[in-house]
This record gives sequence, structure tokens and C-alpha cells, in this order.
Amino acid sequence: MCGQSECCGPQTNVLLYACSGGANVAEVADRAARQLMSEGLGTMFCLAGLGADIQGMVQTAKDAEMNQVIDGCPVDCARRIFERHGLANCRYIRVMDLGIEKVKGARCAHDQVDKVVAKAKEVLGPACKG
Amino acid sequence: MKTIQILGTGCPKCKQLAENAEAAAKALGIQYTLEKVTDINKIMGFGVMITPALAIDGQVKAVGKVPTVDQIKAMLAGN
Repeated sequence: MCGQSECCGPQTNVLLYACSGGANVAEVADRAARQLMSEGLGTMFCLAGLGADIQGMVQTAKDAEMNQVIDGCPVDCARRIFERHGLANCRYIRVMDLGIEKVKGARCAHDQVDKVVAKAKEVLGPACKG
Repeated sequence: MKTIQILGTGCPKCKQLAENAEAAAKALGIQYTLEKVTDINKIMGFGVMITPALAIDGQVKAVGKVPTVDQIKAMLAGN
């Protein structure tokens, strides 16, 4: 089970979804989402649950104020999942668009995570109340 | 017979959601059962991580917010 239940929900209903692939760009996406969550800018949610069509998770994304989606590479798996569900309340970032190369077997670096976090804050704009 | 489930551990919003759901069902004049699901593991079993949430006949209809009576009436009518 992914995530934690919060009674009466979080202060902001911005949900964060990250690529869950095996390459470094997925690790960057994941760590950036966790960093945003730790700064109180949103709540990280389970991309796999959406991909698996878990009905309650799909409804959660539908009812979110905003879904911030962080893809790793141009395959855009996360974006495709959201598009398949017809969800318009989304903003997208792709890690590789920020000049971070996809290298299998490599680990992510702090400055790469910082770059994605900064971009997410810019993209979220007014939805980001933290 | 509609099965209405309020998913939440009992906060004020959960109680408001239960009141709205009951008012909606009564306004429509339908037969219903209303269950408050407070067990966190059962709530997560719905794929719900933010409460309050509303399920009708096992389908999650709203998460992390309290729909109005009219909105719930539409959910009950369209379910």
C-alpha cells in the first residue's frame, strides 16, 4: 500500500506523482517529489496505483486541486497514465528536459534533485501554497 | 438499495459528509444503508489515502472533500 491516510486531508490538495523507472532520472524524479512533500508543497501519491486503475486512486487524482507529475524521460509513462484517465488538472515536468542525462546504473546527484524541485515550484505557481 | 459508505476516522468533515449523504438519500426518497468506515486499513483497501471520502455501492465518488447535498444527489442518481 502506498502513501498514508490523512483524516480531513492535507492542507493543500496538490498531489505529487513521480516516474518509478529504474534509471537515474527516475530516482531524480522520485527524490524531487519527496523533497517537495517534505517542504509541505504537496502529498506524494502512488503512480502505480493509477496505472493499475485502482478506482479510489483514480478518483483521488480527479478530486485533487492539482496533480504535479514528474516524468523521467521522453517515454512519458506518468503523463500517459494521466492522459489515459482523461485528467486535466495536471502539470508536467520531464527530468531530461532540465539537462539531466538518462544513464542506467547511475545514481542521482543532489543538484539534479534541486533543479527538478525548483522547476516544480515554478510550474506549480499559485497551486503551491507551502 | 444503495450502499453509502463514509470513509474517514471521524473528523468534523467526515461527519458533515455523512450528514450531506443522508440528506441527499432522503431527498431522493431512495432506500439506502449508510455505513461509516473508520478502520484505516479498510479505508486504504478502497485505494483512498485522503479522507473524508464517499463510496456508493463500492465505487469511490469523492476523495478529500465534502460534496454538497446536490452533488451527492447527482452521484446517487447516476450510480
